[in-house]
Amino acid sequence: MKHNVKKILSSALVHILLLALVFINIFPLYWMVTFSLKTNDEILGYSYKDAETGQRVQVLPNHVGLPHHWEWGNYTEAMKTGNMGQYFINSLAVTVLAITITLIASFMATYALTRLVWKGRKTMSKFFMLGLTIPIHAAIVPVYVMLSKLGLLNTYSALIFPYSAFALAMGILISTGFMGDIPYDLDEAAFLDGCGTWGIFLRVIAPLMMPAIATVGIYTFLQCWNELLFATVFVSSGKYRTLPVGVQQLFGQYTTRWGPIGAALTIATMPTLIAYAFLSRRIQGSFIAGAVKG
Amino acid sequence: MKKTFSYRLNIFLFLLPALILFVGILIAPIAMSAYYSLNDFNSVAGKSMTFVWLDNYKELFSRTLLNSETGKAFVNDKFMGDALVNSLVLAALSVFIQLPLALLIALKLSKGITGERAYLSVFFMPVLISTVIIGRLWMNIYDPGKAGILNAALKAMGIDQWLFPWITKHISSSKLPFTGQWTGFKETALGAAFIPILWQYVGYHMLLMYAGIKGVPADLLEAAKLDGCREGQVNRYIIIPYIKPILKVSVIFAVTGSLKSFDLIYTLMKDTTKAELPSTLMYKLLFLHNRYGLGSAIAVILIALCFLFAILISLAFRDKGEKVS
Amino acid sequence: MKKLLALVVAVVMLLSVSSAFAEEKTVLTMWCIATESDANRPAYEAAIAAFEAAHPEVEFKWEAFENQSYKVKIKAAMADPESLPDIFFTWAGAFLGDFVDAGNVYCLDEAYLPFAEQLPEVMLQNASYNGGHYGVPLTMNIVALFANMDLLAEVGYDTVPTTYEDLIACCDALVAAGITPFGCAGSETWCVTEYLEPIIEKTIGYEALNEIFAGRATWNDPAIATAVDTFQDMIIKGYFDPNGLALGNDQVKANFIAGEYAFYQNGSWNCGEVDDAEGNFQVALFPVMDAEKATYGQVIGGPSDTLAVSATSKNPELAAQAAFELGKEICHYGYLAGSGLPAWTPDYDTSAVKQLVADVAKIVAEADGMVLFGDTAMSADPANTYLNFVSKVYGVEIDGAGFVDSLTSALQ
Repeated sequence: MKHNVKKILSSALVHILLLALVFINIFPLYWMVTFSLKTNDEILGYSYKDAETGQRVQVLPNHVGLPHHWEWGNYTEAMKTGNMGQYFINSLAVTVLAITITLIASFMATYALTRLVWKGRKTMSKFFMLGLTIPIHAAIVPVYVMLSKLGLLNTYSALIFPYSAFALAMGILISTGFMGDIPYDLDEAAFLDGCGTWGIFLRVIAPLMMPAIATVGIYTFLQCWNELLFATVFVSSGKYRTLPVGVQQLFGQYTTRWGPIGAALTIATMPTLIAYAFLSRRIQGSFIAGAVKG
Repeated sequence: MKKTFSYRLNIFLFLLPALILFVGILIAPIAMSAYYSLNDFNSVAGKSMTFVWLDNYKELFSRTLLNSETGKAFVNDKFMGDALVNSLVLAALSVFIQLPLALLIALKLSKGITGERAYLSVFFMPVLISTVIIGRLWMNIYDPGKAGILNAALKAMGIDQWLFPWITKHISSSKLPFTGQWTGFKETALGAAFIPILWQYVGYHMLLMYAGIKGVPADLLEAAKLDGCREGQVNRYIIIPYIKPILKVSVIFAVTGSLKSFDLIYTLMKDTTKAELPSTLMYKLLFLHNRYGLGSAIAVILIALCFLFAILISLAFRDKGEKVS
Repeated sequence: MKKLLALVVAVVMLLSVSSAFAEEKTVLTMWCIATESDANRPAYEAAIAAFEAAHPEVEFKWEAFENQSYKVKIKAAMADPESLPDIFFTWAGAFLGDFVDAGNVYCLDEAYLPFAEQLPEVMLQNASYNGGHYGVPLTMNIVALFANMDLLAEVGYDTVPTTYEDLIACCDALVAAGITPFGCAGSETWCVTEYLEPIIEKTIGYEALNEIFAGRATWNDPAIATAVDTFQDMIIKGYFDPNGLALGNDQVKANFIAGEYAFYQNGSWNCGEVDDAEGNFQVALFPVMDAEKATYGQVIGGPSDTLAVSATSKNPELAAQAAFELGKEICHYGYLAGSGLPAWTPDYDTSAVKQLVADVAKIVAEADGMVLFGDTAMSADPANTYLNFVSKVYGVEIDGAGFVDSLTSALQ
C-alpha cells in the first residue's frame, strides 16, 4: 500500500515536470498567436488624459492575456504586403523538388556504394560524408558565380540544386541503413531471373526503399524549408522568393509594429504545424527510422 | 558478378547524379575557398589575388596587434579565438545540458507513461519551425522595452530586484547597469542565443534517443528486472550502453551544429559582435569587410574542425577493443 | 492557290512585324532597397510611373530587397557582373568605389551633361572616382539632433542648448526630472556613429576628421580619445536609455516620437516621420566641444543614396538616362515626403515642404563644413573595423585611449 502511494506520487511528479516542459514548448507559440491579434497599444501599454479629471491614466500592457480586441487587420496586412501565399507556394515547390532530387541521387549512389562490389567504394562513402561537415555559407560566392554562368539565377533551380547537394550526404547516410536491411538473396534471385544491375535497382531495390522516402524526405525538409542566405542571394525576383526570405523582409518593414510581425510569424508557422498535427505519428516514425538506420 | 566494362560503366552511372551535385556544388566551391584562403583577395573591388601563404590564418588567430607608434597592444577586431571559444561554449552547453535533458525525457517517456505520444509530439514540434521565425520570436521575448515577455515575467515575480543588480555587478566588460538587455552584453548574449537553440532542438535529440531506447530488446530489460535491478540501474547498465550509437550521432550533430550555427544568431541579434561565432565572423568578413581570403580561411577552419570533432567523438564512443574504421 | 500563298505570306509578315514590335520594347531592370513599406517606397513608385509614362518603349522591371541582405546580394553579384541589373541602388563613397575599381560600373559623364543645370556637380562628388562620375545622387542627409520641446519645457528650456555646458546642464535637469535625455540604438552600430561622429567632429574639427576618414591621417589624436571619453561619460551618467544597448533603431525612434526621450540624434531622413508625429519637435546640431578647432556649423553628412548603372548593361545609355530621370523624381518626392534634402535643384512647388526639413535645409545652407558619414567614406575593410570598435565604445568595453590605439594600428 505504502509502496503504491509512493509510486503514484513519483509518477505524478514526473507528469508535473513533463507538463512544465510542455508549457515551455507551447507558451512562446501561444504568445506569438496572441500578440499577432493585438494592437501596439495593447502590447506596449499607453497613457491618455482623462477628460473629466485631467489626470494622465496609465494603461498597462497586456502581456499574456487574450486580446481585448481581436485585431484581424494584422493578418490582412501581413498577407497583402507580405505576399505570404506566393512565398509559401515557392517554398513548397523548392522543397518538394529538392527532396525528389535528393532521393533519386542518394538512392542511386547508395546502391552503387553498398550493393555493387568495386575497389574504392569505402573511400567514396567517406568522401560523401564530408558533406555533413561543410557549412553552407562558405560556398555562397563560388556557387553564385556558377549558377549565374549556367543561367540558373532567379529560378527555382537556383535553390533546388544547391539544397539537394547539401542534403545529399545525409540522404546517403540514411539510405545506406535502409538498403542494408534488404536481403542480398533478392539481388541474387533477380540476377538469376536475368535482371541486370539497372533491373535489380529498379525492380527489386527501389520498391523496397519506399519507407526510406519519408525519412530522407523529412531530414531534407528540415534543411531546405528554413534556409535563408542562399534563398536571399540566389533569387532576386519576388516570383521565386521563399518563405524565410519573405518573413525576414517583413521584419524589416514592420520593425516596431508587433501585430503584423506576429501575424507573419503565425502565417509562416501554421501550415507546417497543421500538417504536423495530422501526420505527427508518421513524421516521428520516419524521423526515428533515420536515426536508427543512420 | 563479372567485372566487365559495362559493369564499371554502370557503377559510374549510378554515382553520376550524386557526384555532379556533390562535386559541382560542394567540393569545387570549397576547394576554391581553400585556395582563396591562401590569398589576399578583395572579391568586390576586383583586385587580383596575391598569394600570401598562411597570413590570413595568422591574422585570424593573432590575439593582439601592436601599435607601432605607441608600442601598445590592442585586441584584434577580427580575432577568431573569441568566436571559436564562443562556439565551443555553445557546443559544450549543447552536449552537457541539452543532451542529458533530452536523454532524461526520452528515458521517462519510453517507459510507457500515460500520454506518451502526446508528449512526444509536443516536444518534437519546435524542430519543424523555421529558425528565422524562432530567432525573431525570441528577439521579441528578450525585448528590453515594455513588450518583452521575459522581463515582464521577471518583474511580475520580483526577481529583477535582485537578479539585475547581481548581473550588473558581475558584468566585467561594461560600466552600464543591466536592465534586462539580454542581447546587449557580451556576458549574457551567448546564453540568450543558447536558450532558443535548446528550446528548438531538445525534442530532436529526445526523439532520436527515444527511438533507440524503444529498440532495446524486451528480454534484456526483463532479465535485468528479474535480477533485481532498479530503474536507475537498468538505465545505466542496460539502456545507455545499448543506445551508444545513437548517443554518438546526437553528440556529433550537437557539436558540428554548434560550430556551424548561423541563422539563429543572425536573426536574433542585429549586431552579432556580442556573441560572435565563426560563421557570423565569416559572413562579416566575406560580405561586409570584402576580405574574401580571410573569410575563406574561416570556412576552411570550420570544415577541418567539424571533421576533427566527428572523428574525436567517434573515438570517444568506441567500444574497448573495437577498431576505428 | 496563289491567293492562299499570298495570304500565308501576309500573315507571316504580319506576325513577324508584330513580333518585331514586341521585341522592340527594351527591358530595363533595377534593384533597390525600397521595400513595400519603406519610407521611400512611394517616391520610387511615383518616379517609376513617371518614367514609364515618358518612355512607353521601355519595360521597366524592379525588385526591392531588405537592406541587410541587399548588401550580401549586391556584393555576390559583383563576382559575376553579368548577373547585375541595369540600374542598382548603392551607397556613395567607398561602397560604390569598390564596384567602380572592379570595372563593374558604367561612367555617367556623358549622360550627366543634359542634367547638369538641375544637378549641381558638387552633389556628384561622393560618387566620383578618378575624375569620372559614376552615381546619380537621390537625396542628401546630415546628422541632426532632434529635440522634444515639450520635454525640454518641463525643465525650463524653450530652445535647444547650443553650447556643450548648456547641454550638460539641460541633461542633468532632465535626469533629475526623471526624463531620459537621449535614445540610441546600441544594437545597430551605425546609430552609435550618429552620436560619436558629431562629437568627434566638434572636438577636432571637420578638416581633421575628413583627413582621417580619407585615410590621409591616422586616428592617433589624443583629442579623439577625449571625445570618446566625453561620450562615454554621458552614457555612464545615465544620459542614455540603458535599454538602448539591445534596442533597434526603429524602436528607439518610436520611443522618441512617443515622448520617452528628450533628444534623438540621427539622420535627417527622419524629418518626415518626426514632423508627422504629434508633439513639438525641433532640429539642431550637437554643440561645439572645442571652440578652437570646431564651429557649430560643422556637420556630418552629404549625398549618399545613389543609383548606379552596371557596366554590363545591354543598353547603358538608356539605363544611364533612366537613372538620372528616376533620381530626379525620387529626389523630388522624397524631399516633399521629408526623407531628405534635395540633391537636385527643385523646379517644383516647395511650399509644402515640411517644417523640420526646411529647418535642416537652413542648417545645411549655413554649414561651415561637411564630413561624409564615416562608414560610407571609408572603404569596406576599414569602415567595418571602425564599426567593430564603435560598437565596443557604446557598451563601454574600451575607453577613448583604447579606441584610438586600436584604430590607429588596425588601419595602418
